[in-house]
Amino acid sequence: MRWPHPDSVLLILALTLVSAACEEAGVSVRDAWVRETPPGTMMMAGYMELRNNTSRPQVLVAASSSGFENVMIHRTIVKDGVAGMVHASQIELTPNTSLSFAPGDYHLMLMNPKRTLRAGDAVVIMLEFRSGVVLPVAFEVRK
Amino acid sequence: MNKTSLKFSIMITTVALAAMLAGMWLADIYRERDSQVMLLPDQVITLFPDPKPLTAFALTDQKNRVFDLASLQGKWSFLFFGFTHCPDICPTTLTVLARARASIAKNTAGAEDIQFVFISVDPNRDTASRLRQYVDYFDPAFLGVTGDNAQIGNLAGQLGAAYQVAITPGMENYPVYHSAAVFLVDPRARYHAVFTPPYDAKAISKRFKVVREIEAGHET
Repeated sequence: MRWPHPDSVLLILALTLVSAACEEAGVSVRDAWVRETPPGTMMMAGYMELRNNTSRPQVLVAASSSGFENVMIHRTIVKDGVAGMVHASQIELTPNTSLSFAPGDYHLMLMNPKRTLRAGDAVVIMLEFRSGVVLPVAFEVRK
Repeated sequence: MNKTSLKFSIMITTVALAAMLAGMWLADIYRERDSQVMLLPDQVITLFPDPKPLTAFALTDQKNRVFDLASLQGKWSFLFFGFTHCPDICPTTLTVLARARASIAKNTAGAEDIQFVFISVDPNRDTASRLRQYVDYFDPAFLGVTGDNAQIGNLAGQLGAAYQVAITPGMENYPVYHSAAVFLVDPRARYHAVFTPPYDAKAISKRFKVVREIEAGHET
């Protein structure tokens, strides 16, 4: 018998935990994806739709993943026609509203992937909130 | 009324009628031109009425071939400045440009006379082989060029493409700032128009079709 790859075990575990964690966090995540990049690329970006389902502000303070050396919350800013990235130390989600992490805007900067990620793969990223809740989210790799 | 004056008045009427018809015809052409021009200075593209000819520069492409002023002649060139360590805006823009190229290729005029060029402002990390791997992924027809800082600055300066590479000793992922625009250079190597984000492949393809038609009209 061939044992499943440890990553897939983690993924299944994460997916089972997601619904419970979402409820606890009061935050839900939709359409979480990572853009597939050219071979040899050390920088990737993760996008998602975050929703605060509570009547209190929820603050995203950090993100991490065993799939990458480092994960940071960034935002692309185009100022006077010049694009640059700024590091966001935290993001406050206002009560009962959604916030998009989208191309050209907020994104998770994923540095030095531990393995090559191809379209169709999934990678788990932990979202840490100020409340102490850590939300495991499965991101789908897409073209 | 004698014969001469009758002939004269017929002639006058004919001339007047011809002038009127010609006027209507010209007005029609201008109306058409106007509507095309009206379409252009919008959120997608800014078209320059008096395109500025570019001057000599020397860069190298992903196959170590020279990329200079002559490389821009005879083709419409879409130029985008960036760097391969860019996680968000560069892959996003190149993905859209690959779709735009595919869409332009479906037009009757085709894609024979167009080229897409990704210019890395980070030659420190972006070698020719790295650029080759990078641009090939988005579209094997894309060119990836770079060069020494003075030559990148030369071309960028001519296009007004601001950039800054903040190399910091001991910092692996130093920040790079670069113009978010896509510059359109015409087959006479003149800076013809500029596209600004957010980008949409269909919109780029449609605007380019009109620009190419207007330019073809000027030549004939």
